[in-house]
Amino acid sequence: MRILKGNPVSRGIALAKVYIYKAFKADVHESYFEAGQEALKFKQFTDALAAAETELDAIVASLSVESPEKAKIFTAHIEILNDEEVAEEVKDMIFSSRAMPDYAVDMVFTEFAILLEKARDPLIAARAADLRDVRNRVLRILKGEKEHNLSNLREKVIVVAHDLLPSDTATLDRAHVMGIVTEVGGATSHTAIIARSYKIPAVLGVSDATEIMKNGEMVILDALKGQVMLEPERATISDYEVKLEEFLKSEKLTAEYLGRIPLVASGERFSVGLNIGTTEPDEGFKYVDFIGLFRTEFLYMESEHMPTEDEQFAAYRKVLANAMGNPVTLRTLDIGGDKSLRYLVLPKEDNPFLGNRALRLCLDMPELFKTQLRAALRASAFGPMQIMFPMVGTIDDVRAAKAAVQEAKAELLAEGIPFDEKINIGIMIEIPSIAMIADLAAEETDFASVGTNDLTQYLHAVDRMNQKIADYYQSSSPAMFRILGKIFKEYNDAGKPVSVCGELAGEPLAAIVLFGLGLRKFSMNASNIAHVKRVLSLFTLAETEEIAQNVMNMKTQNEVETYLKAEVAKREQKLTASAKK
Amino acid sequence: MYSKQTVLKNLTGLHARPASEFVACAKAFESKVTVRRLDVEDAPEANAKSIIKILAQGLSVNTPIEISADGPDEQDAVDKLAELVDSKFGED
Repeated sequence: MRILKGNPVSRGIALAKVYIYKAFKADVHESYFEAGQEALKFKQFTDALAAAETELDAIVASLSVESPEKAKIFTAHIEILNDEEVAEEVKDMIFSSRAMPDYAVDMVFTEFAILLEKARDPLIAARAADLRDVRNRVLRILKGEKEHNLSNLREKVIVVAHDLLPSDTATLDRAHVMGIVTEVGGATSHTAIIARSYKIPAVLGVSDATEIMKNGEMVILDALKGQVMLEPERATISDYEVKLEEFLKSEKLTAEYLGRIPLVASGERFSVGLNIGTTEPDEGFKYVDFIGLFRTEFLYMESEHMPTEDEQFAAYRKVLANAMGNPVTLRTLDIGGDKSLRYLVLPKEDNPFLGNRALRLCLDMPELFKTQLRAALRASAFGPMQIMFPMVGTIDDVRAAKAAVQEAKAELLAEGIPFDEKINIGIMIEIPSIAMIADLAAEETDFASVGTNDLTQYLHAVDRMNQKIADYYQSSSPAMFRILGKIFKEYNDAGKPVSVCGELAGEPLAAIVLFGLGLRKFSMNASNIAHVKRVLSLFTLAETEEIAQNVMNMKTQNEVETYLKAEVAKREQKLTASAKK
Repeated sequence: MYSKQTVLKNLTGLHARPASEFVACAKAFESKVTVRRLDVEDAPEANAKSIIKILAQGLSVNTPIEISADGPDEQDAVDKLAELVDSKFGED
């Protein structure tokens, strides 16, 4: 048996045959044809364009109902196919230099891709990938090869690839893909996000996977540990069949906690909230008390233009309807840094995470900000909603943002448009400077929610996109718990609600400490709800308080994690022991 | 040859959907149509019927541009395209 290692980015276990997926690789050489064949060669090119368009039309048609956003990728490909300059230059190469069609296509498409890559705007540069995608499609057709993708698999397989492109995952045959292994990619890559959302076990970053693994061979994918086992022995296979069953059972057991009222062992109630980022219905809505974080970026990122007030208003109302009466905390636009928009060119910055992002950008573009605030206020007439600002660093920021809300309110009032006049206005706490004066921030705001991802990044001075320094990103460090304890205390003392909507709230071990530090509102992704409800049900209030005190006096994150794991294991053992009696 | 100067007023600039609409509109005319940005010296003339050439210009909000056309329907082409730009592509 041989074991390959990688990053487990989507939990699970799979036993299935390998399906090596290799995207078409164009093998083009500089070559020319004899005089007299110009018209014939040009026809080969135009026929290939027509065939490519037929393929793309079929993909668009198959996606347009279920995922119109994915269909747009391919609509853009059709547009490239019909680009006049591209066609003109290929034609010119065929007629005046008698270049073979595949060589002409390769040259011209590549030249244009390089042109786009030179654009200052990273979003335009990113479109070069679309050009190369279209080039490969045309070259494949010229070579007479059939369309090759993951949309139609005959049996259950583990897909092994160098990397998966958006055009691969958009058409993925979900019924037959049991697992994914790629040679590149980390936890935040496109493939990882797709695998988690489809609940497909995935291990990424397995070097040379497509070289080492063989098509059709049976392998075990352990996406809990991050391993792929080749040529497993019979014993290992039966071992894993049991493990798979246990995994599914434990997922089910935890799932039973999903619908329970969230209580700690001594009976105190806490609230569980949901983090959302679309207008799609989410099954999590049924199991929560509030929507602690409604990210609004999707409206801007999925749109082809700046979303209008009416478009935003309609989306916000839809979310209020999904929330079934539970209060929704709308976070205003959080872009810049790692997120930017297709249609809005933002100047490149040396330190985007310390730059003009989120609230700073909104204050810098008052029209954009006001459009969103008006839409949010209008929606507030239709259900309980509160507005929250990201990236607040000072009381000046709080005041400037509140003034913008005031201005939007005055306009609506003058226009006779209804809204919730007493709407709560709060802030994200994610910059240490505002955390340090949480008592003063509490005086100026109605509530706060802690964004632990950015707080970790700014407190520890660690770029969270840089994989090389991932070990420095310590969201469960003693420093983090000390600053969190301070924030909770100041808001609790002021009698103002405080919640955590960062990843930490959904991490079972950290949740124990957060509860002990005084947090009662935990907002998280749907997939973490059951885990957090279950783990907190194992501890009494007094125990969590003691644990929190101990953790704050520990010296390293490692110490903290070892300690917390041991505390949970102790209680799990007691449970199993008493169940056996 | 007929030309007009204007300024991109929509927040998106000539990207994404507006760029597609602009190119589609240009393609409806027989004349050769080009766009040139006026805020950069010696900026090249981009073929308005090529989505890639238009995107590569990186024309963002507040960029002054010149739309030119040469051909049988040159005036109509320029007028329609300028109108489209000034309509802010329906963005607000």
